[in-house]
Amino acid sequence: MTVSVAVASVCAVFGLVGIGFYGLMMSRNLIKAVVALQIAVKGVLVAMVLAGKLNSQLAVAQSMALTVLVADTIVAVLGLALAVQIRRHFGSLDTTEISTLRK
Amino acid sequence: MLELVPLIIAIPWFGAVVLWLTGDSHPRRLGWMAMIFSLASAIPAILMIFEPTAIDFVIPIGGVFGDFTFHADGLGKFLAAVATIIGALAVIFSQDYMAGQAQLARYYAFILFFIGGMAGLVLASNLLLVFFFWEITALCSYALISFNNDDPKAVAGGMKALVMTQLGGIGLLVGALLLYSQTGSYDIQTFIHTPGVLSPQLLSLMAYVFLIAAAAKSAQFPFQTWLPDAMEAPSPISALIHAATMVNAGVYLLARFYPAFAAVPGWRLAVMLVGAISAVLAALMALAANDLKRVLAYSTVSQLGYMFYAVGAGGVFASQFHLMSHAVFKALLFLAAGAVIHVAGTRDMRQMGGFGKQMPLVRTVFVLGALSLAGIPIMNGFWSKELVLEAGLHSGALWLYALMVFTAGLTALYTCRCVWMVFYGEPHQERHLHDAPSYMRWALIPLAAGTLLTTLMAGPFSRMLERTLPDHGIHAETTFHWLMEVVSAPATLIALAAVAIGIAAWGWRGRFGGLARGLRWVMHLADNSFGFETINHQVVAQVNRSAETLRLTQTGYLNWNVAGITFGLVVVLVLLAVGG
Repeated sequence: MTVSVAVASVCAVFGLVGIGFYGLMMSRNLIKAVVALQIAVKGVLVAMVLAGKLNSQLAVAQSMALTVLVADTIVAVLGLALAVQIRRHFGSLDTTEISTLRK
Repeated sequence: MLELVPLIIAIPWFGAVVLWLTGDSHPRRLGWMAMIFSLASAIPAILMIFEPTAIDFVIPIGGVFGDFTFHADGLGKFLAAVATIIGALAVIFSQDYMAGQAQLARYYAFILFFIGGMAGLVLASNLLLVFFFWEITALCSYALISFNNDDPKAVAGGMKALVMTQLGGIGLLVGALLLYSQTGSYDIQTFIHTPGVLSPQLLSLMAYVFLIAAAAKSAQFPFQTWLPDAMEAPSPISALIHAATMVNAGVYLLARFYPAFAAVPGWRLAVMLVGAISAVLAALMALAANDLKRVLAYSTVSQLGYMFYAVGAGGVFASQFHLMSHAVFKALLFLAAGAVIHVAGTRDMRQMGGFGKQMPLVRTVFVLGALSLAGIPIMNGFWSKELVLEAGLHSGALWLYALMVFTAGLTALYTCRCVWMVFYGEPHQERHLHDAPSYMRWALIPLAAGTLLTTLMAGPFSRMLERTLPDHGIHAETTFHWLMEVVSAPATLIALAAVAIGIAAWGWRGRFGGLARGLRWVMHLADNSFGFETINHQVVAQVNRSAETLRLTQTGYLNWNVAGITFGLVVVLVLLAVGG
């Protein structure tokens, strides 16, 4: 059985985004949340490249994906830095314990 | 040739940015810079008045916004001049009034931004652009009313002004989008020349949403409650909002679109009705109020009611002429009241009395302004109010005319009461007062002269309006003709009699004690703003209750939020799949 690149890519998109969202929904740990967010974003990158390929604008999509990759790295770094600060401040990384805005 | 239209907007806005960047380190220098920028913006506005024809200016944008067109006709030129000149005087007055206060960069920057925004609003000819400037004036008024942002009352007043004038903003936006959806253009001039491009139903809808917009902006019935609460602002800001900018925008909107909406069934009567109800209710509330600035605020609502009434009656010239008189005497009254409050340290008129001896200049200019407000002959307020009443009489609705004449009497009564309580009568406590310092004098004296002299502009002003506004039904006459028209009209005697009765009622207030007691329930109602505050409180309470209910959807858990996002994504995907 042969699988086309497009079908494989769609599967990858749904797989990665699904795993990412599943992680975000189920995990209470802030670091795990950052990791899950990264996975979801990588799925979106694949979707972006695939969309470029289907519209015959692969170069544009690839350069966009690279831009997002760089921006996303900054998001990850900031997220982890915040996590470190939160751990120091609250003594916990559990999102249910640190959501003081709710109270 | 130098383009005047963009200069009027660009100079104050540039000044606002410069002042903001300068910061608060040198307050005196800041004040001087603000004066220079505000006076500089008045120069192109004055030069523009001497241009015989309308001036057009276009910034090509294209697309869904349309081109950003400006059309400086008589109406726009006049109101831009009012905004910049009175604005500059308010800035000059602020030099003394705001001396020693913190955060003056913010204060002056917002004033300049406000002046530029108002000039843009009256000069723009693209309805979307008008909406843009309209919102800028709302934002600036909010920021300036709440200038003392450690005072909860000031913050609440600013918030109230923002929320209530927003209702007007929505009305304007609905009108703009309606026009665009039907004609594919936002151009006001085209629409005024050919209002038939809209179906009669849509034209009616637009006319009435614009009336709501104008009423909210000009604090007319039923939105009149925001203006008195805006009195928490520093006095020069009150003068700016009441005389130069903001509240004039509503009257401007109606006058601008009058040719397009005049034929809409019931619209003119509705405008007159809104004006008349506002005028009489606000006059009663002014009679009951004891806060000096509140009395003046209610009087603004009342006088704006006259302008609405005039537009509804078809007297566009009368309304704009009264706007000019009102801008001068109300700016004078607010600035003079500011000078009083500055030295007395209170706004409560019951704690004032006998100030006239120690403040002769302030007393003199305040009395001039008050005579003008009361409509005493020779003063500018007399001529313009008579023209408004005459326009009303010719429009046919006699009972509305009677209501307005009654209000003229009430105006004289509450003005006498206010002047007496502040400057005459017995002093309630020993105070060491001093007259207005130098900058304040520079602002007060030109305005005081204006209350006597602006009448002389009636002829040139009507010519300017007639030349550039062919659809508004304005007839140019000489100043002498206008004055003779007022003097020879029998209606003038009726109005003067009402004013005289108003003054006499104050003079003989002791003899009418029984009558006053009988009417105490009216004063009680007026003191409680005729129940409108209660309605406001109920609306606020209802919104809070709904917000509390909706708060249940905000769990504060990250996982729930992500679940919500995922659910939204699934819904979108399903919709896309089903929809094709």
